[in-house]
Amino acid sequence: MFKKINNALNPSLRHPEQERASRINKVGAIILLAILYVFLFVLDNFLPAGSFTGMLIPVLRKGAIYALLCVSMNLLNGFTGLFSLGQAGFMLIGGYAYAILSIPASQHAAVYQYFDGGAIQFSIPEFFSSFLGAGLGSFVGSIICIIIAGVIAALFAALIGIPVLRLKSDYLAIATLGFAEIIRAIFQWNGFGIITNGSNLLRKYTALSDIRWDIGSVSLKFGTVFVFLIVTICILLIVLLINSSYGRAFNAVRDDEISAEAMGINLFKHKMMSFIISSFFAGVGGALLAMYQTTIQSAAFTSAMTYEILLMVVIGGIGSVSGSGIAAFLYIAANEWWLRFLDSGSIGSIEVSFFRGGFRKVIFSIAIMIIVLFFSRGIMGDKELSITGVINWFKNRKERKLAKKINASKEGE
Amino acid sequence: MKKLLAVSLAVLMLVSLCACGGGSKNVIKIGVYEPQSGDNGAGGKQEILGMQYANSVTNEIEIGGKTYKVELVISDNESSNDKAVSAASKLVSEGCAVVLGSYGSGVSIAGSDTFADAGIPVIGVTCTNPQVTEGNSHYFRICFLDPFQGTVLANFANDELKAKKAYCLGQLGNDYDIGLINYFKQAAEKLGMEVITAEFPKDNSDFNSYLTNAKNAKADVIFAPCSTSYAQLIIEQAEKQGIDVPILAGDTWDSNQILDAAKAKAPNAKIYVSTFYAEGGDVNFEKGFRDFINGNSVNKQNNGGNDIIAAVSVMGYDAYYTALEALKKADSVKAADVLKALPSTTYTGVTGKIAFDSIGDAARDTAYIKKVNTSTGLWDFVKVQTIK
Repeated sequence: MFKKINNALNPSLRHPEQERASRINKVGAIILLAILYVFLFVLDNFLPAGSFTGMLIPVLRKGAIYALLCVSMNLLNGFTGLFSLGQAGFMLIGGYAYAILSIPASQHAAVYQYFDGGAIQFSIPEFFSSFLGAGLGSFVGSIICIIIAGVIAALFAALIGIPVLRLKSDYLAIATLGFAEIIRAIFQWNGFGIITNGSNLLRKYTALSDIRWDIGSVSLKFGTVFVFLIVTICILLIVLLINSSYGRAFNAVRDDEISAEAMGINLFKHKMMSFIISSFFAGVGGALLAMYQTTIQSAAFTSAMTYEILLMVVIGGIGSVSGSGIAAFLYIAANEWWLRFLDSGSIGSIEVSFFRGGFRKVIFSIAIMIIVLFFSRGIMGDKELSITGVINWFKNRKERKLAKKINASKEGE
Repeated sequence: MKKLLAVSLAVLMLVSLCACGGGSKNVIKIGVYEPQSGDNGAGGKQEILGMQYANSVTNEIEIGGKTYKVELVISDNESSNDKAVSAASKLVSEGCAVVLGSYGSGVSIAGSDTFADAGIPVIGVTCTNPQVTEGNSHYFRICFLDPFQGTVLANFANDELKAKKAYCLGQLGNDYDIGLINYFKQAAEKLGMEVITAEFPKDNSDFNSYLTNAKNAKADVIFAPCSTSYAQLIIEQAEKQGIDVPILAGDTWDSNQILDAAKAKAPNAKIYVSTFYAEGGDVNFEKGFRDFINGNSVNKQNNGGNDIIAAVSVMGYDAYYTALEALKKADSVKAADVLKALPSTTYTGVTGKIAFDSIGDAARDTAYIKKVNTSTGLWDFVKVQTIK
């Protein structure tokens, strides 16, 4: 359907050559994804636990979740031009909705220890497990919980969008930032403790390790595959949206509101739509983050978390979906894995006296500053990564070098 | 130039990957899961110091007739629940036989499942929330719990301070503050005290309105078991308002930062804390530990710039030896065997006898109450408080 819209919108852009390139990209992407999923499945189940795989699994999981969060923020900030900083608030809503709905009934007394077991006494994954079996039950149950989490986040977005989206640029950022802070305070308030557990964390809900398939004595784990599956579907939906007529309308709103309105685009409606959809995926991301963390506490969802995501979007390139994805994986891997040796006081066996606890943070901040100052367009700018693009890049290497030489010699003259 | 940068970055990454592997055969790794940055970074560093000192005293252990070198692997959890999983995974991937930590109950609970999945036992050092060990067969701890600490403090307020009305102040969203206040309130109300509670938001820096409320309510004691960064502000602002009622707090306030703040800014403050250890308990240990801190500028910096011994450091020291005891008892370097041996492990350390009950908590029945001496900037021992 979206393809049709695409073609109808710009028939002149569709030469046979481009048609071919688009087909190569699609088929190639499907093949690459299939290889990725096989690799993830093998990683989850058959690769021996070592110092490499032990870190690779959590970094891949968290990287994928943040990739979704970045793309959802990019949809709003990069493609629609609405500078919103409410991401952490919607993630909080999504994460809590997921956790509250999936804590098993038997665990309520332990989790809600200060609130007499809490108000909600059922668990959706448990309900499905009762007739689908433990593995499939938690799979179906958690997917339903994730969707509900997204819908609740979207509902909140629809409510606050009505007043907030009438504001522009900086004012919108301040209003959404305030919203996220208020949400956090409300979730921590003891008055709602019977639902949110107040300041205490939620735990014992369906986590990624529960997504598995027991065949006899063998238990196949699907944790990482599950995260990537949900993230791929969500990002694919966002990409389809961006390439549809709605996406073009979003771009028009971003580039020039007055012209867009003159072209018959309902500004408020499209802003609302972008805001609600972005919040839905932020809620889904929050739910996945809750699954990954196995515990969730509202205190962690500070504005710093939103800035972290914004930083990834900027590093990846505002207005590039693939850039957001690449930046998310790089950021998470560097921050939580590769740079850890800076804390340890040595590289391999060489003692380095100025390496000490917390040193990683210093280096990381400096690296981020350099990137933001000198590579302000980010890794991808507003371009997208595609298979034909990469092939052409390699093909044109010689030509580029030649062009560079010519340019240099011209300047020399 | 750009290429050179890219290549050098790639080399750096490779080096860092190589750093993950390697190591000789006769090494046993003990994981240290502690915050070195974030809200609890200062406390975490002091706890690590205790373990590092213990490691410098005893760094070899005999298991199954072979001598193993004990190596501490430190992983920074940044005091943040969302960084807990990867920090814990780091220790799991390094193949640690047993893990110590963390300072702060929230991150302990957040990292717990990662260790459980890998079957690695954890010894909590100063995480006092009941939920850390409850329902977790792999989590043990050597300190007392919040229900105990809250009751001890309520008893102290009632017996020694003769308080009739308590004003409790905690940080909204911090499970430690809110939990401890909850237990204090329960115990205090049982003793016939009146309790008022209040919560301040994260990153608050003006406590004047809360302190005015406490003053207007004619509270006899202020109970404020919050993080040390807020504590310094509360102490200073209470002094400015001329509040002369005692301020009471839990084990987090047993920190040099409190001593410094009280000495410099609040000469009239009466600050009492409950803690795991009072200075003067073990002279040999204290001398050795002071030498360890003073002998190295990094250690001294991590201890807050002086050589006052924090209770968390002593607990870290005891946790290390408890772990060694468990390794000896298991007579194996495998995490699974250590896990089996831990429930029956006993050890008599600097802070007293350590033995685990069926949940995995240490059976502790005493807490030490200390008071800030604002003229010397040191702790004065007040009494050993037990529950009636």
